[in-house]
Parts: sequence; structure tokens; C-alpha cells
Amino acid sequence: MGGVSVDHIVALIVFVSAIMLFVGFFGQTIQTGIIYQQNQAVATKCSDLLDSILLNPGSPNNWGQENSTLSSFGIQDPEFTQYQLSAFSLMRLGSTGNLAEFDKTSQSIYYNSLTLGLGSFLLTPNAQAVNYSTVLSLLGINGTYGFQLSLTPDISVSITENQASSPLILGISATGTGFPLAYATVSYCFVQVTLPSTDAQYPSYTIQNGTVTTDQTGAANVQFPSVTNPNQVYSFIAYAHSNGIVGVGYHAKASNSDQYIVPILQDFASQNVALAHNYDLNNSNPATLTLKYNATFVILKQDYTLSELSLSSPGDTGVNGTVTSGYNNPFPSISLPEYSTGILIVTYQQQDNLNQGGVVMMPWGVGSLAVPITFGGNPAKQQWVATDLRQVMINNVAYQAKLSLWSTQGMQVKS
Amino acid sequence: MMRTVEVVIVIVIITGAFIASSYYAVLPWPRQVSPMNLRRLSLTTMQMLDSNHDLSRAAFDTGNSVLWNNLQISLSASLPPNVIYNLTVYDVNSAPDGSTVYLPKTSISNAENLGVTSDASSDLVASSNVTFNVIPQKIGEHNGNGGITLYILNCSDANGWWITGYNAQSLAQDLYNLLSPYFVRTIMVQNTAQLEQILNGASLQGENVQNAVVINTCGEAVPIPSGYYASPGVGYDSSHLSYAPYAYTLGQRVLQYNWTWVSIVGWPLYYVSNTALFSSTQNSWGIYGMNMVASAGLNAFLQGIDNQTYSYGSSTTGSPGVVTLSNKASGSSNYYGIYPSPYQTSTRALSTSILSTYHLNVTTYVFDPVNNWIPGAIYRHSVTTNGVASYQGGFYALGLTRTPDIRLTALGLLSDFKPRIYSADYTSYDNSRLVVLHLGLVGGA
Repeated sequence: MGGVSVDHIVALIVFVSAIMLFVGFFGQTIQTGIIYQQNQAVATKCSDLLDSILLNPGSPNNWGQENSTLSSFGIQDPEFTQYQLSAFSLMRLGSTGNLAEFDKTSQSIYYNSLTLGLGSFLLTPNAQAVNYSTVLSLLGINGTYGFQLSLTPDISVSITENQASSPLILGISATGTGFPLAYATVSYCFVQVTLPSTDAQYPSYTIQNGTVTTDQTGAANVQFPSVTNPNQVYSFIAYAHSNGIVGVGYHAKASNSDQYIVPILQDFASQNVALAHNYDLNNSNPATLTLKYNATFVILKQDYTLSELSLSSPGDTGVNGTVTSGYNNPFPSISLPEYSTGILIVTYQQQDNLNQGGVVMMPWGVGSLAVPITFGGNPAKQQWVATDLRQVMINNVAYQAKLSLWSTQGMQVKS
Repeated sequence: MMRTVEVVIVIVIITGAFIASSYYAVLPWPRQVSPMNLRRLSLTTMQMLDSNHDLSRAAFDTGNSVLWNNLQISLSASLPPNVIYNLTVYDVNSAPDGSTVYLPKTSISNAENLGVTSDASSDLVASSNVTFNVIPQKIGEHNGNGGITLYILNCSDANGWWITGYNAQSLAQDLYNLLSPYFVRTIMVQNTAQLEQILNGASLQGENVQNAVVINTCGEAVPIPSGYYASPGVGYDSSHLSYAPYAYTLGQRVLQYNWTWVSIVGWPLYYVSNTALFSSTQNSWGIYGMNMVASAGLNAFLQGIDNQTYSYGSSTTGSPGVVTLSNKASGSSNYYGIYPSPYQTSTRALSTSILSTYHLNVTTYVFDPVNNWIPGAIYRHSVTTNGVASYQGGFYALGLTRTPDIRLTALGLLSDFKPRIYSADYTSYDNSRLVVLHLGLVGGA
């Protein structure tokens, strides 16, 4: 009788243990399957969401040119169909980069800084920016998903100065995401700045347009015999294009990198741009230092040459003046065209040292200088991130739009 | 002991079941769980390559090795390194039985096969022998008010002034051709009787009278209906022997119906014209059928649009000389494909003082202002109702010297209303070719 009981007890224990073990095994398999299914749902959502963002202009459809509140989110160019994006709407997206404070008339006024290095700036008002949480709500994924949208130019065009003068030699390299852009046509615009020798005059510039072809490595050289001064101030913009793919690169050289002008977009609706002394950004340096400037707006024509557009009174193409650092010192502002994308070129010269000057550019519309855009949350610490890609055009410049999407509700399965 | 043996047997059975189910329940690879949408990537890549019609050109020039080498370089440069491709062009033909036959013409690829995952998209490209269409947005169509009507005053019983070299009817026809695609309804007002009808708020062809745009093609003259609108107190000032009150009444109608009144050249409302009413009256320059109101016309019109009390008085205009198209108008010039000369001569520019006097805001400068003179602009009358500011009534005055360029009239209106142009459906009259871009992924699963 005792043996039978022991047999039953041992059998029961072994059986229960085995059942529990197998429940764990099967449960693990099922959990993995469910997690995979949820991940696949995220991937499907990612693809749908990317098309939803890229294929509708949002509402109002010209929200990139207004300060209005959005009622729906999308970044398609309202003038076009398919995957052509609005260069203006993208400028209104809140940056994940640094904020700059412009301490001129009051403090704590911040601007999103998409500064591309010395010589090119894009600062937009943070108060008018469309932020990540708003977009999450407008897309209907607030509390369920997080995302990051990045727009990266397909073609990276880098420019280096190989020789400073007699002649000036600039090297151009055009590389795609997967391959060099070999045998492509490169149309360039060389902006040669003249710094006058008298106080009464303002800096000016001339534009030389030309074309070269890249070799099989995507490289090309261009020479400027007219440049004999190794300290020549200039900027250089290159457009590499082949079969509908266009990439933009630029290079600027200043004789003085301590004081310079920073264009700051103050209002999307009025397209008002302040020309700031860099000492007035983040209250960084002393007051009462003056720069003379000459501002011009240029647009890119179909043949990839730059054409000047009037900014002020009839017949004038440039706007001259001075800007002085320091709180409450007056600062100039200009209005850019409402619809034309292009580049604001500002040449400047130090008033207390006429040998010092430079040139800065501000893209009006992100495609004008192929500004990369990153908007949204940080996917780095997420458990599972689905990504998807599209090829898009912004101002005829080829970009890759990449959406990274993750679930914020977790992927765990309770067993 | 028997029970333990039975349990062991059960465990063996369950283990077998687990192994069997694990063998068949194969979990997908991570790439299959979270796939890149190669089909959409393929489609957008082809659209990008064809953005300047380069892909179409290559598809119809398959023997051009330079063109195809460049296409292959562009394709390789634009795709991520782990994406491989095969692009094939097919000729599209019809079989004798009517079915469509796709014959491969040429193909390029950067790999022997398309890796572990692949997908494709196709695009039908047309030869250069195509016609392009654009579809203009109708102004006001989506505002829930049935769209905006365009009235063009084409009155056969009225003469024009300062439209030298043209007559009102030819200008009306040109304006119709330029602007009618942008409006829901475009109606030629054929005589002053029809003008009287719309002034009374009655439609001519069932159109929406409210919010309309009214273009006066008679230049400095404006058609006046005989009868009520030429009667004392409504259209005639007996004490000053002037038809200035008609301009005042027009202003009030513009306010009442929220019209945009367009003056295409010169000093607005300087004369009134009706060939029957003024059959024996000339405008002091020998043109019969017309009566001079002089500067009082504009003054009265602005009083009317601002709902002020009518009082006879004069208005002023300036002569700033050569004026330049504004940035906004230049931009619209490119957008709408209307290219008047950017430099014009203005001798009848309105004063900036009218803005404050008559509560007008400029919504569009067609020409850049010069000092205190506005050579060409669209003004909107500002009203505040229950604390909410809005516009009610508009006025577009082009204070240029004769002869009028009606392209400027069209350009100003389009700059202000900003209808969009949707492009571009095309119809091929020659053969088409099918381009298939097959993308695959390489690398780890």
C-alpha cells in the first residue's frame, strides 16, 4: 500500500513538473510569435505613416508659409503630386538640434539652429515651430507610437580648397548613398567678394557660372585664374546632376571668422529675416562692433545658374547697411519672397578693419542648399524600431526620406 | 511504479509534440518581420529618375550606351548600398487578338540575382510625343460658397477710354481666355441692362453674385445703365451736374456684395459711358456716348466702399514714372506663365493716404510702391463685426498709362487669389514603354 502511494506521489510530482516545463516552452514560443506579429504591425504602420506624411500637404496646405495652427500634418508640396515635398513646411519643423538665443531687443527669444557650418545658416523661430508632440497628436499616434523622420540628400557634394590662389583650385566630390556620382555634370556658381577700401562703400560680389564633369570617382576640379589673393573672400555652390538626381554642395571662405553676420528668420508669415551680428547670438561678445553688409537674394534657374531677385526698391537687387552688436542697437531686417525658394547671400565687412570680411548664405527653402532634416524622437533606446525609405524631391534636389517608428506601448507579453 | 512509467510515457509524448510543433512553427527572419517596402522605394526611385524625363528618354533610346551608363550610375548612387536592382524596359504592343504584349527591350542590373527579399514596381513612360495638361484650381471653389464668379464688362452700349488700340470687347475676350479657367463661372456682361441686373443682385445665368470679381474693360470709363442708376440721388448729382453718385453707388454695391472691382488702366471711374444715354454728349475729347465725371468719380467710389456719406469732392493720383513688378507678382508671373514687361509707366498711381481714409488694406502689391504712390495694387476694405475683423469689398486699381496690358490685370488677380495649378496628366499619341524596377536586399537575414 505504501509503495503504491509513493508511486502516485512521485508520478504526480514528475507529471506536474513536466507540465509546467512544457507550458513554459510553449509559452515562450507563443510569446516570440506574438512579439514578431506586433513588430510586423509596427513595420506596416511605419510604411503607411511614411506615405501619409509624404503624400499630403497638411492643413492649411501652405502652413510652411504661415504661422497658423495645423489641423492635419503632411509635408507634400501643395503645388505638386507624388513625392515632392514642401521646402517651406520642412523649415517649420522643430529642430532636434541646438537652440540659439538672439539677445537684441529682449531675452529668451530662441531660434532653431540648422547651422550648416561657417558660411551657411538657417535659424528659424522656435515659437512658430511645429513640435514633435503636436505632430504625434495630428497623426493620431500620440501615446501609441514614436517616430523620427530624417531627410538626407541622396547626393553628398563636398568641396575642398586645393590651392588658395593663382589660380584658386577647388576640388568637388559627388557621392551617392551607394556609389560615386560618376560622369555627372556639375554646374557651379562662384561668388567672388570685393571688400572696398573706403568706409562709404559696401562689400559687393560678382557671380561666375560654369560647368565641369566628374570623373569615374565622382571628382572634379575647377580653377579660377582671376583669384590672385590667397585671402580672397568667396563662396562656391555646386550642383551635381544626372538623370533627375541633383545634389548640392557649397564652400565659403572668409578673411575673418570672428565677426560675421547671421541671417535669422523671424516670422514665417511675413518672411522677415533679421541680419544679426554674431556677437548678439547667445549674448556671446561685446557690443558696438559694426559690420557693413550687402544682402542679395538669388534663385536657381533651370540651367543651374543663379539669378538675382529684387529685395527692395525698384531696380535695386541688393540691400546695403550696417549692423552693430549690442542690446537695443538697431538691426536690419529684410523680407524674402513669399513663394520663390533660393539663397540669401550676405557679404559683410568689418567697419573697424576693412581687410576683414566674408560672405554667408541662408537657404530659403531647405532644398536650396540641400539642408538635411531630422525631426521627431530618438530611436536609439527603443526596443524595436521599424524603418522605411522613400526617394523624394525637395526643390528638385533628391533626398531619401527615412521614417523610424517604434511602439511606445511596449512589446512584452504577459504569461 | 506503474504510474511513474505512465508519466514518463506521457512526457515522451508531450516532448514529441513540442519538437514536432517547433519544427513546423518556423518563426520568420527579422527582415521578414520588419521588411523595407521595396515596392514603394522602387516606385519613388523611378519617379525621381524621371523627374526631368531622363528615364523616359532612355527608355526610348535603348541603343544609347552613354545614356544608359549614366542611368545606371544614377541608380547605383541613389539606392542604399544593400539594395540591388534590375531595371528592364518593355515595349508595349498590341497582339492581333487585341491583347497587350510586353516585349523586353533592354535591361541593366548590378547583381546576378535579387537576394533574399525582392519586390518590384512598374512605371509606364511615354515618348516625347505627348500632350501635357494642367488643371487650374477654381477660385473660391472650396470655400463652401459655390465659388467665385468672374464678370467681365463687355457692354456693347458703352465706349472705352484710354484703351487706345483696343476696344472693350476685344479686351473682354482676351481676359476671358486668360482668366476663365480659374473661375467657376465667367460671365460676359453684354450690355448695361445686364449690368443693372447684377447691380440689383440678380444673377444672369444662375451664378453666384456674391463675392464676384467684376472687371471693367472700358478703361477710365465705366458703363452706366440708364434709368434708376442714372437718376438723381442714385447716379446723378444735380447740384454739381455730375454722375459721381453712380460711382458712389458702385462702391456701395462692391461693399454689399463683397465684390472685387477691377480698373484695368488709368484714373478709375473718370468717365461714365452709355451710348444711348449720352448720345449727344461727348467726354470733352470728342468721344460721344460718354460723360466726364473727373476725379470726383474715384472719390465717390471710395466713399461708397467705406460706407461713408456721399459728398462731392475730388481725388488725386500721382505720376511716379517707371515702376517695377513686385516680387509677389514676379513669382506669380512664372507660376502662371504670364509674362508682361516687369517695367511699366505709371501716371495715375493712387495715393497711400486712401488706405487710412477709407479703411483699405493692400493684400497684393502688383507693382512696388514709389514714395507715397501705389502704381498697382489690390485693396481690401476692412470691417469689424462683433469684434472680428474681416474684409468686405475689394478694389484692384492699375494706375498705369495707356495702353492697357490686360496680362497685368490677370496677373494681379491670380497673385491675390492664388489658385493652384495641378499638373500634369498626359496623353500619349505614340507608343508607350513599361519600365520595371526590381529591387532586392542583400546582406544578413
